[in-house]
Amino acid sequence: MVNTILKPLTLGLLGLPTISLAEDLGAMWGTAEAEAEYYPLVEIPIPPEVPMHPGSFEILPDQKLAVGTRRGDIYVLSGVFETPPNPTYELFASGQDEIFGLSWKDGALTATQFGEVTRIKDTNGDGSADQFNALTNNWGYAEGHEFAFGSKHDPDGNIWVALGLSGSYKSHNLFRGWAVKVTPDGKMIPVCSGLRSPGGVAANAEGVMFTIESQGPWNGSCSLKHLKQDHFLGHPASYNWYPFVEGLDAPALEPESNSRLQVEKKRVKELVPPAILFPYIKMGRSISGFQLDETKGKFGPFENQLFFGDYTLSLIMRATTEEINGVWQGACYPFREGLDTGIMNVQFTPKGQLIAGGFTTNRQWPVRGEKPFAIQRLDWTGKTPFEIKEINIRPDGFIFNFTLPVNSAIATDPKTYTLTTYTHNFSAGYGSPEVDHTEPIVKRAVVSDDKLSVRLFIEGIQESHIHDFDLAPMMSAANKPLLHTKAYYTVNEIPAGE
Amino acid sequence: MLNPALLMRTSFFIFLSAFSLSHAQVILPSIESSQLAPELKGRVLIEELNCVACHQADDTLASASRKSPRLSAVGSRVNPDYLRKFIASPHKTKPGTTMPGLSDSLSQQDKESIANEITHFLVSLNKAHVFKQEAPDSVAAAKGNELFHTVGCVACHSPRDPDGKELLLSSSVPLGNLSEKYSHKSLREFLQRPHSVRPSGRMPDLRIPGQDLDRITHYLLKNTRIPGHLAYTTWRGKVWEGLKGDVQPEKAGQTNDLSLTTFQGGNGKVPQHTAIRFNGFLRINTPGTYTFHLEMNGGSLLLNEKEILNEAPSDRRGVKKLTGTANLKQGWNPIEFTYFQTGRNANLKFEMEGPGFKRQTIPPSLFATSDQPIPVVKPLKVDQALAAKGKAHFVNFGCVKCHDDIKATSSDYPELSALKSDKGCLSHGSSSPHFDLTPEQGKLIALALPKASSVTFTDHQLVNKTLTTFNCIACHDREGLGGISPERNPYFTGTSEALGDQGRLPPPLTHVGAKLTKSWLKEILVHGGRQREYLNTRMPLFSEANVGHLVEGFGKVDSLEEATLPKVVNIRESKNAGYEMTGAGGLSCIACHDFNGQKSGGAGALDLIHTTERLQKNWFHLYMRQPSRFHPTVIMPSYWPGGQAIRKEVLNGDTDQQIEALWTYLSDGQRAKNPKGLSRQSRELRVADETVMCRGRGPASYRGIGVGYPERISLVFDSREMNLRHLWKGEFASVNHGSFQLRGDNRITFPEGIPFYRLTDMDASWPYKGKTNHTFPHDHGYQYRGYRLNKEKRPTFLYHYGDISVEDYFEDHLDENGKAYFNRTMTFNTTGPQKKFYFRVASGKKITSGKDGWQIDSLNLRVVGKISGKIRDGDSKELLVPITLPPGKTTLHLEYRW
Repeated sequence: MVNTILKPLTLGLLGLPTISLAEDLGAMWGTAEAEAEYYPLVEIPIPPEVPMHPGSFEILPDQKLAVGTRRGDIYVLSGVFETPPNPTYELFASGQDEIFGLSWKDGALTATQFGEVTRIKDTNGDGSADQFNALTNNWGYAEGHEFAFGSKHDPDGNIWVALGLSGSYKSHNLFRGWAVKVTPDGKMIPVCSGLRSPGGVAANAEGVMFTIESQGPWNGSCSLKHLKQDHFLGHPASYNWYPFVEGLDAPALEPESNSRLQVEKKRVKELVPPAILFPYIKMGRSISGFQLDETKGKFGPFENQLFFGDYTLSLIMRATTEEINGVWQGACYPFREGLDTGIMNVQFTPKGQLIAGGFTTNRQWPVRGEKPFAIQRLDWTGKTPFEIKEINIRPDGFIFNFTLPVNSAIATDPKTYTLTTYTHNFSAGYGSPEVDHTEPIVKRAVVSDDKLSVRLFIEGIQESHIHDFDLAPMMSAANKPLLHTKAYYTVNEIPAGE
Repeated sequence: MLNPALLMRTSFFIFLSAFSLSHAQVILPSIESSQLAPELKGRVLIEELNCVACHQADDTLASASRKSPRLSAVGSRVNPDYLRKFIASPHKTKPGTTMPGLSDSLSQQDKESIANEITHFLVSLNKAHVFKQEAPDSVAAAKGNELFHTVGCVACHSPRDPDGKELLLSSSVPLGNLSEKYSHKSLREFLQRPHSVRPSGRMPDLRIPGQDLDRITHYLLKNTRIPGHLAYTTWRGKVWEGLKGDVQPEKAGQTNDLSLTTFQGGNGKVPQHTAIRFNGFLRINTPGTYTFHLEMNGGSLLLNEKEILNEAPSDRRGVKKLTGTANLKQGWNPIEFTYFQTGRNANLKFEMEGPGFKRQTIPPSLFATSDQPIPVVKPLKVDQALAAKGKAHFVNFGCVKCHDDIKATSSDYPELSALKSDKGCLSHGSSSPHFDLTPEQGKLIALALPKASSVTFTDHQLVNKTLTTFNCIACHDREGLGGISPERNPYFTGTSEALGDQGRLPPPLTHVGAKLTKSWLKEILVHGGRQREYLNTRMPLFSEANVGHLVEGFGKVDSLEEATLPKVVNIRESKNAGYEMTGAGGLSCIACHDFNGQKSGGAGALDLIHTTERLQKNWFHLYMRQPSRFHPTVIMPSYWPGGQAIRKEVLNGDTDQQIEALWTYLSDGQRAKNPKGLSRQSRELRVADETVMCRGRGPASYRGIGVGYPERISLVFDSREMNLRHLWKGEFASVNHGSFQLRGDNRITFPEGIPFYRLTDMDASWPYKGKTNHTFPHDHGYQYRGYRLNKEKRPTFLYHYGDISVEDYFEDHLDENGKAYFNRTMTFNTTGPQKKFYFRVASGKKITSGKDGWQIDSLNLRVVGKISGKIRDGDSKELLVPITLPPGKTTLHLEYRW
């Protein structure tokens, strides 16, 4: 079964057959109840008169939340961060196309809608926007699949926009399958080609911009991709727009189908491998908007990590990134499941809460959460869950950082760590099973003095493979089991020996 | 929600005992149920029996009397066999009919031969179409059953049990056996335009949409049987899971053989995910073992109710080859074959081989829908001699008196004023037509007869008589005159349960003349106006001639005391108070009431913006003070209990001023400012006092911007090409995610392409965005820059053409006749001088230039100031305005009227 965020949004338009709802969405993590102890879900009430299919969020001055919707409205909500939430809804702007990007800067909201990036401002202070400056509408937009997702402003004031292909396989209109950068004065700068059906766009703690990509052709699973200037991210349908980019030639080669990323990234020198692969169903099926936790600990122990929503499985995941040999890679971790609807986007609040919201689409595509639309809030109770906080690679293994001290006896036992690796077939076909399985040997596990990290020595780390860890036996020093025992590290590069 | 099927069963048991109808008596249920004075009832009877057709009287009686069905086309409308039977014995054929029988002095044999001759005559009148029946569609009939029992048919006609048995025959307008009488085509045509056959409008026009008319017709004719080869039923949906689950029956009918020809769509293909079940009988000449060779994705075959083949369908594979055998007897063998059109390259091959039958598809001649012969209705071949005799009978028996669309001279009968109540038609004498009146009906006529030829009615009597004649009282009560009978009450249903009985029962007509404005009454009665969309029962359309006088009549008869109407000093303050009270935070009227087409949060009560056009102000004041006075079961609370305002802070808590404030606010109608908290859930965008916008995929590229203006005119501006693409009037648009569609009417369309271009060659085509000019229109120097909104939210579009910046503003205005038009102001700004370019203003089939502008098809375009235009020839002509800009600001004013 295929996975993409695009499918649910456009099935109706394309007249494709609808998919049986009886379809199995895959096993749940089964951790929702335990997660609730640390991160309870708080429902944000939506009054019946408000059509609220959220696609993007932004924090405004004065503790307000802006919500951009599929219908093209922007609502401003007050009272969302209170406990219990006591929101009032004011319509700030309407009549836009579907809004999947909102960013506040210099007294205006910049919205990324399907057709353009628009700076929207209330100049007379009556609470309702009256100025809609189109920064750019210079990308092609003429087919149902062609979505646009936008970032927050980068430090230079640019908005980064990821442009989906015309469907899964083709790029019929200008810059479909590219990421572009829109400057404050409305210049559109092409960044990189090779996208298929990107979702959210956001920067990591180092300010490097990424997008989330959907499973499909040339994408064995969903992945986090680095938007690297003048590079190519895997799907060659968008090669046809190189002639429209000044001073940049198309890559000399196209990737070969039925190959492997580790082969093709060496052949096609412009190809940037995905930084983090999210194994399908185990870690999401249609990953959507994501954001960096900059709450300085207000949201718990995951400062500077990325948090992702998933549409189909109605859950939240997190990820950490690191740059090795000039290439970004990292790990993804389960975080919270059991949300009420298909999650389209997330947003941290000034109080350190995480807003998550979205919708389902007319029964055309299965979504685990059953509400047609919802906005929810994850609050941290202040209790620290026992979690794998972060995995970093070393030349001969990994360092596991935990949120709480570990039980040294268990943590030093190599059998505590079950590790398999696999990758995907890199092909023009749709998605891929997991292939080329290996089972590296955990030779040794050394617990740090503070018991907050474990150094694993491993024989057989595999380049371009997902390293699928299960730490089921692990216990904290206080003999609590891990809240989530799984973690997935994508190895693009193995650092040189120390 | 009430379940009509369940109710039907219940009422079946309750009323079967009351069912004791002698077949031979005239049934006019409204006369039975009405509380009209007996004398007036007698008068209505005289009108309904159309006595005046034979027995001359004054024009008032003639015009009020019910004309008989028009017969000039009856030969194509009614089965000739039925005609013959009905003329010979009307009361037996259609119990309850007002059609009199032939004289009792005739023998049955004579009656039949006369009826036959008249039938030949009637059929001879019709040259247009031959009467022809069709096989009913059982799937449509099932839906028709539901409609028949909900839209209002059973207010007058009898509800039926699942077997079609009429449950309330004695209190219903009789229908007779419709399958014997009508074809699908003729019954549908009658239901669609009942007044054309029965001009007196006792059967009103329910204005049922075409598809529903079809369904009701299929239901009423579901017992029609015509010979055929195979019956079929189709289903659509997730048929790859079989016929269980999310699969809906689609249609039923007859087909010739086990091929897919009947089911192919316009593209020659059977729609994917269709299931078809064929039923019938297979004729076997030589008994023995037969083998069936099938190729298909999935399906099952039953012969003599034994399963021969069964393959579950699957959407994940292609067709399979399947074989099965069966021992078949000589003669008719029941066959049922179910086929699934699903999976890859879905197709069907169905072959049989057996003793003396080489492998081949089965020809239609071996199939029949029934193993018993079904009689064929043969068109009547008119015998001219019989027809001539029939014509004589038609005149002599006085048929022509009532069915007077057929012109012929006939003999005279005594005048009405000379009639005796114990003679002629009213006696059981042998020589007169036989009406089969009950003794009670006879008495009523006797009461009315002395005055019937000339009588003046009071307004009150006239109103009540009309309400009885047209059986308005089957649905509406009026001061106890009638109303919904207990046995029919369960058939009145609605979609807004929260409104209680008001959400399902048509409103009572008590005080209606003091409640509704005359214009709204007229709108309802003769133009089909309808406000209570939540009632499943439809208010039918009557003709002006029949019920038009009620508009004045109600007004004369009804009156209520005068409420105190306060003087409003500050209209603005009053309106604003009305606005505040209507919305959330005020009295929150919109919590229950719809507003300007936007659905309310809950109950779905009447749309408030029609209040002042529907209601009399006096009634509004009385009602608002105490709603329960007018509807004992109303759920609307009083916001001024005991005359005291609950909201003291609004208009100093003055009750009269507050109610008046709601009135002044609502009197803006569709232009009333949307109240606070109004739902925005509806996909239909309504424009009130401010401009409304939408954008996305739709009528102009994927970057179209729709703008609806308060004067109820709208436009689409394409932000991809910076051009005006559509103008229209009326309703604005409906939206769905990032797409929108135009509503309204009177659309003017402009071609795609940029607005300005330096055309060097007058034969060159005007540039537009093709599929492959990817950088268009930026390669022509264009850049879209957005828009800004003024105080009324009207946008000014901003864009660049080269180094010219353009501000493009449309404003809606009303002309001296109240017709809306657009004023467009284009402001060009440039620092340096600009070479001449053309502005393509419009294009059309026909362009003519006039004194101060141009006529482009139905668009009148005026330019303010002196501007020349060039009309360019072509497949469609183009109006080009040359523009040369000096440095600085230049303004162009245009007016669009259509």
